[in-house]
Amino acid sequence: MSEERIQFVKTGRARYISHLDLMRTFQRAFLRSGLQVRHTEGFNPHAYVSIALPLSVGYSSQCEILEFGLPEGADRSQVPERLTRALPEGITVTRCYGGGRPVRELCWVNYIITLEYDAGAPVGAENAIRALLSRESLVVTKKSKKAKSGQVQVDLIPLIHKVDYEGRRDAIVLDVVLRAQNPGLNPALLVETIRNHWPEAAPDYVSYHRKQVLDKDFRPFF
Amino acid sequence: MDRTMEAILSRVQKPARYTGGEYNAVVKDPKRVDTRVAMCFPDTYEIGMSNLGVRILYGLMNELPGVWCERVFAPWGDMEEEMRREGLPLYGLESGDPISGFDIIGFSLGYEMAYTNVLNMLDLAGVPLRSADRDEDAPLVIAGGTCAYNPEPLAPFVDIFSLGEGEEVTVELIRLYQRARREGWSRQDLLAAAAGVPGLYVPSLYTAVYHEDGTVAAIEPKEGAPELVTKRIVQDLDKAYFPVKTIVPSTEIVHDRVMLEVFRGCIRGCRFCQAGYAYRPVRARSPKLLVEQGIAACKDSGYQEMTLSSLSTSDYRPLEGLCDGLLEWCEPNKVSLSLPSLRADNFSMGLMQRLQHVRKSGLTFAPEAGTQRLRDAINKNVTEADLMNSCRTAFLGGWNTVKLYFMLGLPTETDEDVLGIADLAKKVLQLWRETAPDKRRGCRITVSTACFVPKPHTAFQWEGQVTREEYLRRVKLLRDNMREKSIVYHWHDPDTSFLEAVFARGDRRLADVIETAWREGAKFDSWSEYFDLERWLRAFASRGLDPAFYANRVRSREEVLPWSRISTGVTPAFLWRERERAYEAVITPDCRKQCTGCGANHLLEKGRVCDE
Repeated sequence: MSEERIQFVKTGRARYISHLDLMRTFQRAFLRSGLQVRHTEGFNPHAYVSIALPLSVGYSSQCEILEFGLPEGADRSQVPERLTRALPEGITVTRCYGGGRPVRELCWVNYIITLEYDAGAPVGAENAIRALLSRESLVVTKKSKKAKSGQVQVDLIPLIHKVDYEGRRDAIVLDVVLRAQNPGLNPALLVETIRNHWPEAAPDYVSYHRKQVLDKDFRPFF
Repeated sequence: MDRTMEAILSRVQKPARYTGGEYNAVVKDPKRVDTRVAMCFPDTYEIGMSNLGVRILYGLMNELPGVWCERVFAPWGDMEEEMRREGLPLYGLESGDPISGFDIIGFSLGYEMAYTNVLNMLDLAGVPLRSADRDEDAPLVIAGGTCAYNPEPLAPFVDIFSLGEGEEVTVELIRLYQRARREGWSRQDLLAAAAGVPGLYVPSLYTAVYHEDGTVAAIEPKEGAPELVTKRIVQDLDKAYFPVKTIVPSTEIVHDRVMLEVFRGCIRGCRFCQAGYAYRPVRARSPKLLVEQGIAACKDSGYQEMTLSSLSTSDYRPLEGLCDGLLEWCEPNKVSLSLPSLRADNFSMGLMQRLQHVRKSGLTFAPEAGTQRLRDAINKNVTEADLMNSCRTAFLGGWNTVKLYFMLGLPTETDEDVLGIADLAKKVLQLWRETAPDKRRGCRITVSTACFVPKPHTAFQWEGQVTREEYLRRVKLLRDNMREKSIVYHWHDPDTSFLEAVFARGDRRLADVIETAWREGAKFDSWSEYFDLERWLRAFASRGLDPAFYANRVRSREEVLPWSRISTGVTPAFLWRERERAYEAVITPDCRKQCTGCGANHLLEKGRVCDE
């Protein structure tokens, strides 16, 4: 068996499929596609799949990575098309490749966060957000399953590599690069922090899009 | 998907239930269809998607040219709140379009406790609740499923009830609807024509008249409406539509597997069992076809679990051959096979060995009653020796857990019968001690009791339900006499069973109670999160009706029963005879031993016989 990877897009209605459900969806899609893939051992074998970085429910993404196994010498060129046909609406496999780098080398994620305002973006909101995120340190409390108290203190600043701003009439778009793992920063925490520090800038709706995954040198991860 | 919907979905639990877009969901171009149907299931997505009937009718309707059938489930409380606040009407999962603009809204009625959800869904859709308030352009509201066998409590809300199996009559009804529209019939003309289609009951064409004492005096058909509406059946199951290509939900549902329907009907004739009478006659699918369908359905869905479905799977004659045929494909393809609905009197070593090839799930038997006398009275036809043999087989095969299901409050039950349950459970435990090859992990016997609910179209349709207090007294009696550590006792709460008994045999006046309770917030009554008996009791009081009149009262043979215009094919005379035999504790042989003349064979075409 050879280690293979696919990259896929998750958008539209498929955004609401949770991580766990997505794994099951892919396991079934592999069986539907008729592709011979590696199965797990044990009492209840199923197609082996591993998704690199769980995506929160509701987020869209154009750069999801999933690992699976193909028999040695199998033709991977057919995988994207056959698998896409077996997947629900909104999931499209864009490529299949071998020799992917270890997932631990995935260090940064580029998200597009769109803060939407029904009545137009409040005056000064963008500057306020800029000021907040360019502090030396920005310690917030977040929930934690591990900590005994159920919460933990995190400084967001070291977890943010860069933030680009684009102001529109009814939205502020943040193009951010955030730490991916160990520890990662969920963009929702960033938005929550903005809400807490600057309630006037609190958006009516936020959409999150994962645009790119990057290595430690900010080159595309594959 | 618009912003409002996205905003809503970001705030609710398990949003994947509300999006549609699953694999195999049918999406058509609205411009190329002329009849839009909403297939509504009055419970959550997880439960509704597990229903084979819904899947059959969905697939069948979507194969009709010009018809687009979409699914609609009851939104959970958080979603409903969001929808009402944002003014988002109930929509079809496939298109996202409001169902108020559809042509037909159909409900699948599986249990009485979902009635308030029917009203809630109509209201969320913005469709007037009562047929009388719906204008010419409003969608036609239809309903089918087991509860339609007593349609009266929902009569004012539903335009047309469909009785029995829907494969053929649904198509006939849609064709009739299309013709009515083409020819410009009025709604009333359409209803009158529908009443002429076998298996369709149009409640507005019948008037219920009551005696002083509250019992029904008559259900009078208006001009042209038939005296008796008989349920429909599919003659040949091998030729009936089966959805091999079916929706695979993207989120986990209750029965998340391939379901193969091996036969319809039941040979047994348990006197309490509505399905056992109402789904007659027995018609089986051929094992060869089932194997083909099972393999095709697994390949198409990617499911790795398959289950056989019927009222009593071990009564399927070629069961072992079917299992072999399926396992031959399942094993190399890592698909597991499960068999629910096994009877304690024919669970064989051969069957057990086949089950051992696949995942070992729990074993459940339903002796229903604790003593032989009571089992004979209800015609369960399972002896203690049968149960012991089955348990021995299971224990020798390595099982250490057995679940036993019983009912309390069955007609003629005495305290001796209640204590008989404890005896039986202890004997099973003792058997395990004597036979289990490996006792290191111990044994667990789970005993469950539910409060008996007399159902229409059964031999016990005239019986009174025991009161809740009496049920709880029997529960306590049993619990106090069954304290073994290895025996776990669960009992079902009697409040739900009480209401179920009211609505199962209710008349048309209960519609007002249902509407009142719904206005006071009742919905999802089969969920403990929402169920509130007090709210229901207030609703009864406000309409001047006594629920005990419906649940606990014994009916006489002469009484006009609210469902007397409905026939399942089984005659009331047969049911009465069965009731008398129950009181004598005389068993009636199963259909394979001897035809007992229930009447359901008349539903078959000439030349066909039951259980061929």
